[in-house]
Amino acid sequence: MQPIITIRHLAKNYGEKVVLKDINLDIFPGQIIGYIGPNGAGKSTTVKILTGIIQEYSGEVMVFGTNLRDSILEVKSKVGYIPELAELYDLLTPREYLNFIGKLYHLSDDVIEDRSRKMLNSFSLLENMDQRMDSFSKGMKQKVLITSGLLHNPSIVIMDEPLSGLDANAVILVKELLQALKQEGKTIFYCSHMMDVVEKVSDRIVLINNGNIIADGTIGELREQSADTLEQIFSRLTSGGNQIQAADDLAAAMNAGG
Amino acid sequence: MNRFLLFLIMLPAALWHGLGADVVQLKAILDTKLKLDDRKPLPIGRQQKQKKIKFGSLINAVMFLFMGVLYMMPIITVNDRIASLTIYFSMLTAIITFMLITDFSNVLFDSRDKYILFPRPINDRTLVLARLLHVVIYLVRVVFPLALPGWVALGYMDGWKSATLFTIPLLLLVFLALFLVNCIYLLILRLAKPEKFKDVINYFQVFTSVIFFASVYLFPRLFDRKNPTDFNILKYAWVRFTPSYWLASCWSWIGYPVAISGSAVYSGLAVVVPVACMFILVKYLTPSFASKIAGIDSADTGGYKPVQNGKRPGGLYKKLAYAFNVSDEARAGFIIAWLQTSRSRSFRMRVYPSFAFIPIYFYYTLTLGGESFSEVMSKLPDTSKHLFLLYFSSFVMVSALSYITMSDQYKAAWVYYATPVMVPGRIMIGAFKAMWVKFFLPFYILLAAFVLYIWGLPAILDVLLAVINVTMFICAIARINMRHLPFSIIEQTKQSGGRILKSMGAMFILGPLGAGHYFCVHLLWLKLLFIALSSVLLWLIWTSYANTTWASLVRSENEQ
Repeated sequence: MQPIITIRHLAKNYGEKVVLKDINLDIFPGQIIGYIGPNGAGKSTTVKILTGIIQEYSGEVMVFGTNLRDSILEVKSKVGYIPELAELYDLLTPREYLNFIGKLYHLSDDVIEDRSRKMLNSFSLLENMDQRMDSFSKGMKQKVLITSGLLHNPSIVIMDEPLSGLDANAVILVKELLQALKQEGKTIFYCSHMMDVVEKVSDRIVLINNGNIIADGTIGELREQSADTLEQIFSRLTSGGNQIQAADDLAAAMNAGG
Repeated sequence: MNRFLLFLIMLPAALWHGLGADVVQLKAILDTKLKLDDRKPLPIGRQQKQKKIKFGSLINAVMFLFMGVLYMMPIITVNDRIASLTIYFSMLTAIITFMLITDFSNVLFDSRDKYILFPRPINDRTLVLARLLHVVIYLVRVVFPLALPGWVALGYMDGWKSATLFTIPLLLLVFLALFLVNCIYLLILRLAKPEKFKDVINYFQVFTSVIFFASVYLFPRLFDRKNPTDFNILKYAWVRFTPSYWLASCWSWIGYPVAISGSAVYSGLAVVVPVACMFILVKYLTPSFASKIAGIDSADTGGYKPVQNGKRPGGLYKKLAYAFNVSDEARAGFIIAWLQTSRSRSFRMRVYPSFAFIPIYFYYTLTLGGESFSEVMSKLPDTSKHLFLLYFSSFVMVSALSYITMSDQYKAAWVYYATPVMVPGRIMIGAFKAMWVKFFLPFYILLAAFVLYIWGLPAILDVLLAVINVTMFICAIARINMRHLPFSIIEQTKQSGGRILKSMGAMFILGPLGAGHYFCVHLLWLKLLFIALSSVLLWLIWTSYANTTWASLVRSENEQ
């Protein structure tokens, strides 16, 4: 099978600071990739390159068999991006925001309206469709963002902490959605800190640290050497497992006199 | 200044302790509140989010002092003391009331208190006293610099008696203003939905800004120091029903002549009414007022009616977006610009005052020669001053356009980069059109109606040529200086040298255009030629802006 995304020697630096050193990755259609790493490891930078937001990098990224640099618009039109932190224009209502996004994907008004209503209904947000989002909770905004990322029926869905701020029911919904999208043959690039979710939903887990991939495989493969959970594997590989000592130090600091 | 004010307010610490407040907590709360006041954006002028404001209250004090100098004009120029003080107190009450309305909700009743102070072990008396003392400090900060010049002028002109008396009506005036503000707030709360409350307050901010601007330009003209006025208050006998007149009539106590009889009654009212107002305020209004104001934030989601299954009728903006744009990207730009500018309070605060600035400034320039307004108006049709008005309208559009690229939520602009947008210029031109249709066109139509009314139908060609030239000018400014996607950049505090030079270059375009128009104002064939040439030039600049590529967008971002 041909990989849908191929990354070769991907590197990126901001001035002196090297964020990505040498990323090499093949992603196959219908896979759910859990892309994990500590803060500042380079996860978001990888995502921004894949979505075409960052266009200055070295190395090669092939999507749908074509070089990302050469066919950026074509790739963008087939990729759905769901960022973290609910970055949206919250003075608009969901209907207005989705209409705006839909226009950027050249969707007709009817298609936008129909899909928006159905998707927001699934998120129990239909009745808030004409309410300004500045009064929305973080979770509600995140649901609108997820809708906006899926509105154009993309083949690849790139999610950066999509569960951020969602309540338990919405988390279950999104987890089920990931499986449903997979059944439809969509490829999902799932970036998160929530180890238990990544462990459950991902076909394959890619762990990056300091701009390099340090582990790549199914959860079974990663566990081969020990019976650890993904969280323990993550901690061992990225910080040497010394979090217990750090927690003890923090607790001790509360009793320090001065 | 904060340390000094805090020192003063904490002098009677024993009293505060006696009233049941925790003095250490009280001082800590007030210290923090004063620091926050110092760092909040200034009430007028361009608010710049990124700029760290350090000495806000000191800058405010200097500004208020300057306003105070303008406001004391009637004291110096109007001969009748009672009349002069009536005008002075009216202006002072107006500005203090407006200042209080704009600041009361966001400064004095900070909704963050709910999360930061309320969960801490602070007793109610400390909280109430902290709030009360904060209001007192705020009032001192506003009223003292505003009233100081008038006070000094009175002392200098009338002697110590007048200066000493001044403090009493001033205090009464503050009582009145506080009462007025409370009533206005309660009225707004009653009439407007809670979620609209902040919008209404926002309009008051806009008005305050306009009052400041109008004061600066018009007061020196109205009250000319070189020509003291014999102001006959009897012509305006209705003033006896205004509190400002009552306050002014207190000067009858120290022997100043009063033209309207019954000064004992009016000066009595000056004392009784504000004190009664204060009593009502403290006894009945304040308790519910504080809780209502505090409830505004939590009421943000209230009053919303869920949509039913039926389709919502398409808005006007959508119809216009389709009418004025061909591509989807341009429609998206049009829609986002239209909606965001309707909703953003900071945009309103920055752009709306410019609509008032133009007539004020026009009036200012008309009366520069020292003639009265009616004289100027009668001669107006013989002049070419309509060109000034028409060309000056570009100010509205430049002001709207300069803020359309900026947003607090600039990070939300990731959508432009993650979606398949081939030519970002299309989004930009869509946004440009939205601003043109929404802000410039209605305003220009009003100006054009005024121009045609005064100068007659032949001026229609001038209206046409000016609209082409002004659109070309603003499009050039946008092309040179604002080549950014809508709401995509963080607000800039400083413009780079290159940008300033470019802006100045663009400003130079308008000068020759206006001058050229002035020279051909009576030459029909030249004017028609000018219209044709300007149209071609406009088309060229327009196309260039609409075809802005990603590469040129990045270049322009790097230049920042």
